[in-house]
Amino acid sequence: MPSLRRATIRGIAQLSPRYLPFADVASETLPLKKLLRLSLLQVTVGMALVLLVGTLNRVMIVELSVPATVVGVMLALPVIFAPLRVLIGHASDTYISPLGWRRVPFIWKGTLAQFGGLAIMPFALLVLAGKGESHNAPALLGISASALSFVLVGAGVHMVQTVGLALATDLAPQKDQPKVVGLMFVAMLVGMIISALVFGALLVDFVAGRLIQVIQGAAVVTVVLNLVAIWKMEPRVRGRDREDTNQPSFQRAIAAFMDQPFSRPRLAVIAIGTLGFGMADILLEPYGGQILELTVAETTRLTATFAVGGLLGLALASRLTRHVGEPLWMAALGLVMGVPAFALVAFAATAQSTEMFAAGTLLIGFGAGLFGHGTLSSVIRHARPGEVGLACGAWGAVQSTAAGAALALGSIMRDGVSAMPWGAAFSGAAPYFAVYAVELVLLVVALAVLLPQLVRMARRGADPGRLRHS
Amino acid sequence: MSDDPDRVWPTGLTIAESEDLHRQLIDGTRVFGAISIVAHILTAAFTPWLG
Repeated sequence: MPSLRRATIRGIAQLSPRYLPFADVASETLPLKKLLRLSLLQVTVGMALVLLVGTLNRVMIVELSVPATVVGVMLALPVIFAPLRVLIGHASDTYISPLGWRRVPFIWKGTLAQFGGLAIMPFALLVLAGKGESHNAPALLGISASALSFVLVGAGVHMVQTVGLALATDLAPQKDQPKVVGLMFVAMLVGMIISALVFGALLVDFVAGRLIQVIQGAAVVTVVLNLVAIWKMEPRVRGRDREDTNQPSFQRAIAAFMDQPFSRPRLAVIAIGTLGFGMADILLEPYGGQILELTVAETTRLTATFAVGGLLGLALASRLTRHVGEPLWMAALGLVMGVPAFALVAFAATAQSTEMFAAGTLLIGFGAGLFGHGTLSSVIRHARPGEVGLACGAWGAVQSTAAGAALALGSIMRDGVSAMPWGAAFSGAAPYFAVYAVELVLLVVALAVLLPQLVRMARRGADPGRLRHS
Repeated sequence: MSDDPDRVWPTGLTIAESEDLHRQLIDGTRVFGAISIVAHILTAAFTPWLG
């Protein structure tokens, strides 16, 4: 019997990686275990994003009664610094250190910023809300400390994600890069899902002490996971401090990056497409609640449906990219999926059909997954050696600026339309219809920019010698 | 590798490498110190302990 048990255990041990997406990414230079460890960076990024956009958004408004405009400004602060990702990426490309590391010092600094921001954030928010004895303190203290904590967390997320993606790209052999990108996205989604559930469960009974525990706990988890992720990860290149005395300046590097064929239209597509997919993100739950009269539990399940769609999209993109060659085809497929998806969601209100809404939400997640994967893989694939960090930074800068703008625009547009005289038309669904219509238009515009480029690329074989490996 | 006269044992780092590591450590400590000062000011405003 013991031998049977041992065989079973061994069988299970061998079986489990097969059920992980992207398991075959493991290569001699980057075993799966190491890759999973590196993806912990993205888990902490996902956790920070959920905390900022989801949990604290609600806690500040509902439990701490902070004015909505102050909350909006605080949440917008990290987005303002998103364009700096290009600079961070470039700095990590050209970093010179006697230790021969390029990425680790930046990930470490980013981790420190993220930790520091989270460490002071609960007190800053409590002082901002005037809890405890802090109503005696000057109002400026709460506001400036909260702003500092949000800026620190945002800067940390930007640094860790940009440089972490660049490090993953450095480590993976080129043919595996689409799968590495997929795994990085999946890790972020998993981090977001788990931390949303954990934060939600821990903050059911809200007290100030619990808020401090939760946010500072997140700070400690961030440091621990990030340290595990970068431990013995980046190979040291001795003598890097001596070579390359003529590193390109940032201006020259960014000019060279932008002058590559298809660089500008690709960034434009990323911006328009992300805006198109992102505007309804925070409207999905209120739309389900107000218009389709779903319960809280049902709308939560809807968010899970969205995430499942995203995972499916990422899995498909990781599998197909190798055969398709140019990853931007995946992005185009994602945009094509988005058009019927938003139509389904909009018509669900007229038909009062929850199934239609769920199907539309699944498709939106699916399309957004394909789109995100396709654009990032494409940017990385076309990056020349020595500018991987810059390329990851450019993608991240455009993507997170557009995502932040989409969040703001989505809610501004909904509130604006509902203030109109005809805002209550279609039994209150008119504001949502307006947002969905704009998203449809944006997706079509993105497609209109992308498709001619793809055709031109295919004609020119724009990616000499790097398109097909298999 | 071990015949490099700059290399110091038992770590096997050169002087320049260990100074680089040390600089990171000092920078990290400074950031950590600054953050804890801010945190102390905020907690003092929330629950004053100095009377």
